[in-house]
Amino acid sequence: MTPDAINRLVAQLAKLPGIGEKTAQRLAFHVLRSSPEYARSLAAALVDVVDKVRLCSRCFSLHDGAAEALCGFCTDPRRDERLVCVVEGIADELAVERTREFRGRYHVLHGVLSPLEGIGPEQLRIKELLQRLGDGVVTEVVVATNPDVEGEATALYLTRLLKPLGVKVSRLAQGLPMGGDLEFADQATLARAFATRRDL
Amino acid sequence: MKLLSVRYERFRNLGALTLTPSAKTTIAVGPNGQGKTNLLEGLYFLSTLKPLRASRLAELIQFGQADAVVQGRFLLQGAERDIAVRVEGKTRTALVDGKAASSLSSYFGGVSVVAFTPDDLAVVKGGPDGRRAFLDRAVFNRFPGYLTESRDYARALKGRNRLLKDGASAAQVGAWDEALARFGAKLFVRRRALLDEVAPKAQAAFERITRLQAPARFGYGASGLSGLDFQGADEAALAQALHDALVARTPKDRERGFTSVGPHTDDLELFLGDAAARAYASQGQARALVLAWKVAEIENLAQANGFLPLLLLDDVSSELDPERNAFLMQYLVDLGAQALLSTTDAALVQRAAGPDTVWWQVEAGQVRASDGA
Repeated sequence: MTPDAINRLVAQLAKLPGIGEKTAQRLAFHVLRSSPEYARSLAAALVDVVDKVRLCSRCFSLHDGAAEALCGFCTDPRRDERLVCVVEGIADELAVERTREFRGRYHVLHGVLSPLEGIGPEQLRIKELLQRLGDGVVTEVVVATNPDVEGEATALYLTRLLKPLGVKVSRLAQGLPMGGDLEFADQATLARAFATRRDL
Repeated sequence: MKLLSVRYERFRNLGALTLTPSAKTTIAVGPNGQGKTNLLEGLYFLSTLKPLRASRLAELIQFGQADAVVQGRFLLQGAERDIAVRVEGKTRTALVDGKAASSLSSYFGGVSVVAFTPDDLAVVKGGPDGRRAFLDRAVFNRFPGYLTESRDYARALKGRNRLLKDGASAAQVGAWDEALARFGAKLFVRRRALLDEVAPKAQAAFERITRLQAPARFGYGASGLSGLDFQGADEAALAQALHDALVARTPKDRERGFTSVGPHTDDLELFLGDAAARAYASQGQARALVLAWKVAEIENLAQANGFLPLLLLDDVSSELDPERNAFLMQYLVDLGAQALLSTTDAALVQRAAGPDTVWWQVEAGQVRASDGA
């Protein structure tokens, strides 16, 4: 009989995405074999994530400051507060941030509109985005949702709400990846790039 | 493009089979219910990743088995390629030379097929959904990118229908109207492009088949788009027109809970002279129209790809009158494409046979090479 403590750990690990029963078992035994300090710091890190990381009350990015405080993106004075980039999730925000091109602020929707999954505007941080724009500081909103069916529809929905407020609404362009080979581009991307080709 | 060999495993009633077809005509003979159609179904599925007659993927798997595989060895642009598709439950995996195909375009690069079944012969007199599926099959074969585009459209359509049923806000439905119009316009453009290519060829083929009769006309019936020159409009104008129609119909659509305009309600229109073929064509004329369309599709693919597609004819001869069948058989001989024909009566397809024809006797899921009828 395996001790209950191990069974409990395996069961918890197996709930993680991409982790099956076997992998969970391997991870559990790895923790058991490692030094007790490792297990303790892993446990502390897990607890810290839920206790300390919270959503920014303005843009809904993650931060670990005090409750009700704003995140680093929102408080950084070097960032252009007239420009807001709307993304679906934190991973997208990080992707945009890695470019180091965008120096405005963010707004994280935490999802996209999806009638098939029962996700409407109330489930997203759309109301908060509109409130944010109320003070007239923001002049342009860049909608960076994914170029799939739900992402497009969400972008169109936002456009309908934002345009009447007098802000400029833009959408990220689609086309060929930089430094990529034409031969590796998928057909949809290549077709899109052809349709939106520009004069030289 | 040539199919060098094909292997079936647990595919419908075919146990484990490895077959070598002729470079020209292969004729599968046998009584009904022995597996002739399954041989064709497998090749069609391999070439398009879509089932030919089965309505669900799971139907392709032999009863009581977990998965099914069809694997073909093709000569594509001078190189031998191994292409396989495996279906397990509701999922299919495409493999090129043993590796999972990274994209559909890499999978479809160079394989092309045209199928002709008794179901096709019924589309002229049948409902618009049958004709749409018939048209879409031709569009898929010509433009593989259509697969993703039509999936996107279907998803957007489902989303809008759900919003209508749930009584969602005008802003939400409005956003979906716009998205649906954009994805729908892409389908319009593809279907129109296919018809532009195929319709003149089909009209010419119809003349060859029937000689003295009224000319045939094949057109696209875009329903509910008022005040639009469908033929001349660009994608943006088509999207705008569809958007206007969606907005205009929103109150009615809300009542009914579904979207009443768009590519999913359109029709492939067939005329004999000025008369709608659906109402006025005789049985023989209806079949000649379909035959002409198939001939045009083959010629169009040959022209676009630079090689002849693989032809799959499922017991069509028994459904055609002797004159049309004679035309089809002679056409196949003249064309010289690689073809797989199935029949219950070898005499019907004898005229398509030549010295290099391979005969397969099909019995209870087993196939045995024979010397002909």
